[in-house]
Order: sequence, then C-alpha cells, then structure tokens
Amino acid sequence: MLFLGTTAVAAGLIYVLVLFLKDRLFELFPPELSTHADVALQLLIVQEGVLLVLFALILIVLVFWTVNRLIVRPLRLIIDAMTTFAETGQRVPLPDLSHTPKEVHTLANVFQKFTDSVDEVHRHDMEISRIKSDFISTAAHQLRTPLTGIRWALEALEKDPGLTAEQKALVTSAKDKSHDLVDTVGTLLDISSIESGKYKYTFESLDLGKFVSEMTRDFAQLANQSQVSLFYAGGEETLPRVKADKGRIKWILNNLIENAIRYTPAGGTVRVYATVAQNMLQIHVRDTGIGIPAEDRGNIFERFYRAPNAITKQNQGNGLGLYIARTIATDHGGDLDFKPNEDGPGTIFTLSLPIES
Amino acid sequence: MTDTKFIMVVEDDPILKNLLGHTFAGKYQTLYASDGNEALTLFEQYKPSLVLLDLMLPTMGGYEVLQAIRARTDEHKDVPVVIVSNLGQATDVEKAKSLGANDYLVKAEVEIEEIVRKIEGMLSAPAPETPQAPAA
Repeated sequence: MLFLGTTAVAAGLIYVLVLFLKDRLFELFPPELSTHADVALQLLIVQEGVLLVLFALILIVLVFWTVNRLIVRPLRLIIDAMTTFAETGQRVPLPDLSHTPKEVHTLANVFQKFTDSVDEVHRHDMEISRIKSDFISTAAHQLRTPLTGIRWALEALEKDPGLTAEQKALVTSAKDKSHDLVDTVGTLLDISSIESGKYKYTFESLDLGKFVSEMTRDFAQLANQSQVSLFYAGGEETLPRVKADKGRIKWILNNLIENAIRYTPAGGTVRVYATVAQNMLQIHVRDTGIGIPAEDRGNIFERFYRAPNAITKQNQGNGLGLYIARTIATDHGGDLDFKPNEDGPGTIFTLSLPIES
Repeated sequence: MTDTKFIMVVEDDPILKNLLGHTFAGKYQTLYASDGNEALTLFEQYKPSLVLLDLMLPTMGGYEVLQAIRARTDEHKDVPVVIVSNLGQATDVEKAKSLGANDYLVKAEVEIEEIVRKIEGMLSAPAPETPQAPAA
C-alpha cells in the first residue's frame, strides 16, 4: 500500500512539475519543432493526468478498504457483541483486534472487561440467592425438628392415663406453648421467604366477592363467641376479578377479620365490604373496636410491633401478621392500609388489589 | 389373615423415630430406615404397603428415594408415599408431588394422630391414584 501510495504521490508531483515547467520545457525545443513539442507535451500531460486519476482511484479504493478493515468492520463486530450481550446476556467472542488502531482495540478491551464485571456481579447475585434458599431450608429443618420432637412427646404424654390432674394440666400448657412456637417459626420462615423474594406465589383469577363472603361465614362461630356481629355487606353486582394467590389472600383476610373480632368488645360490629377505586378492588374490614391510638399508627406495620392497648392476656399475637400481610399485598401490586373510623370507635383496614385487566 | 400392614418409616432423627414407633406400635408392622440407601434396601426386601419419607436424609436424599421407587417396573412402583418433612416451601411440595408423592406433611405442624389418619386413609383406599411421575 505504501508503494502504491508513493507511486501515486510521485505521479502527482511529476504532473504538477510538468504543468509548471510546461513553458520552460517548451522553450527547450528548437522553434521548428515547437508545435510537435507542444503536442507531445500536451499528450504527456494528458497521459500523466490519466495515470494520476487511475492512481487516485486506486488510492481511494485502498483507503476505503483499509478504513473498512481496520475500523468499520471491527467496530461492527464490537457493536454486534454489545447488542447481543445487552439483549440476551450472551458473550460473543471477539477476534484478535491488535492490528486495529489503538482506539478501536482499546474499545474492544474495555467492553471485554465490562462484560466480565457484569458476569461477576450476576454470579455473585445467584450465589446470594442460593445461600438465601439454603438458609431458609436449613433454618426450617433445624428449628422444626426439635419442635416436632417436643410437641409429639407432649401430645403422647398428655394422653397417658397415669397422670394426675395437675400433671396433665402442666403437660397441656407445655403442649399449647409448643404449638404457638411452631406457628411462630412457620410465620418467620414465611416472612424470610417472602422478604427474600423466594416465596413462590400461585396466582390465579379470583372472584373476591364469593371468596370473602365464604370467609366471613367461616368466622361466624368466633364472632358469636365474642358476641360481635360480623357480616359481609356484599351487593348483587359481581365484583371485578383480581389475579391473586388464593392462599395468601385468605391469610391476609383471616388476619384482618380475626383482629377485628378480637379487638372489638362484646356488642360491637365487624363489617366487611368491597369497593372499586380506579383500577383497584378494595376489601374493607371495619370494626367498632378499641382502635389504634394516633401515636402507634406509624408503627402498626412494623415487624413485631403490637400497640400497647392491644397486648392483653387474651390477645397473644406475635406482631408479625400485619407486616407480612402488607408485604404480600405489595407483592401483588396492591396495598394494605388502615384509617380510624370517622363515626365512632374502631378502625377500617383496607386491602387493595389490582383488577385483572 | 393377619391385619397388620407393613409400613416403612424413613427418618434419620432417632427421637422422632422413637416417637413415631411409640404411636405405631400395635397398629402396624413398621420398618425403619435412617438413610436413603437403607430405605431402598429394605424396600426391596420387604415391599411395604406404604412409605413415610423424610426429605433431609444422609447419603441419599428423600427425593432420590422417591424417584427410585417410582422408577421401578413391578407393581410396587405405585406404593403410596407420604412425604413427612420439615421443609415446607411451595417449591418443595411441588417438587415432591411432581416426582409422584401422594401427600406432603410438615412434621412440626401435624400431630402424630393426623399422620395415622393419613396412613389409614391410604391403606384402606382401593388402589390409590398415584400422580404420574415423569419417565426417569
């Protein structure tokens, strides 16, 4: 290429020289040959011109070819590799680009290092995810195995006919507490898995109207025992369907309705009803209970928080229910919130879920 | 004809094994295995009518034992298998069911009586429908 370039430059110089010295050269010839000389010179100039154009063309082609090989094609390869990586995460190996200009192969190297970092972070994330799964499984097993032993032993002992009344009462107390512990461990494991994003929801299309009215009926007995009137104020119209995990939603509503009943004194009311707001279906649980004092409202959804007015001998909750319930609601794309009753004591809890489009 | 049925309990924790034994005594003829290999050996030898299977076992895990049983070619491949484990996440239950388990109980959350009820239910049911396990 250098040789051709030099030849082209030389031809150009000769051409320019001939042009400039045309007159001088012309003078060198004797007058009688002047016209021949002139024609000969013209021919020479034309020849040189054609050659120059040819060389120029070859030079242009060579320049394009080189730029293409050294810059355009490598850049295309790099861009393709970047696009593939961005869209599919797959690494496309780049060929050796050390013959390309510094900027081009530096670009390739930097891109290589970048994909290495991304892969490293990804590996790290997967590892953390695996550790989380392992932790939950291990914790489940390690906590539940001794608890199983304890409860089974106590249950068997409780049935022993040789116990005195006092002994049996002791065993029953221990057995009940062991059941509570099992429940708390189960709840903690659920939180752990929901929080770490490991919990697998089973979403399905739900008709909440039917669902909620059934659940309200399930709580009839508890409501009767607490002398609280519980009813589902459902209208005739069918409610829009939502996409939700039936089990988890049932769990949330169980929590809300049970809380409402427990914190409402005898003679009170728990009313469950539904409304539609924008693109959300809202289920409200309204009680006429002890309410949540203003100073505790900010903490109600915190883990393990129990408002001081709620902690009594009868209400032995662990303070995790609302926290999990809220997390589940937000995982569904919805929310869980509450507000005090406007016309009397009590609270209205509202579960919002996005309507199935 | 003797009414005692042969069941196999695969459980590695000795205390839990004893507690189960305490309840099953007199009701069933019970085989005990502490790990996967032992479970398959005993299965081959005694062909129990039902298997209570833990998942976290030394040497060979519960899932592998289940797969091995379901991969058999004789009539015992459809023996009722109840997973009795302390893992309890949806993924574990799904995996067990997809491998052909008939039921899944979380040990810590059930009374032994409930396990007995499940066993009774499965043993008395005529040819229980086994969920199809995928070809090995």
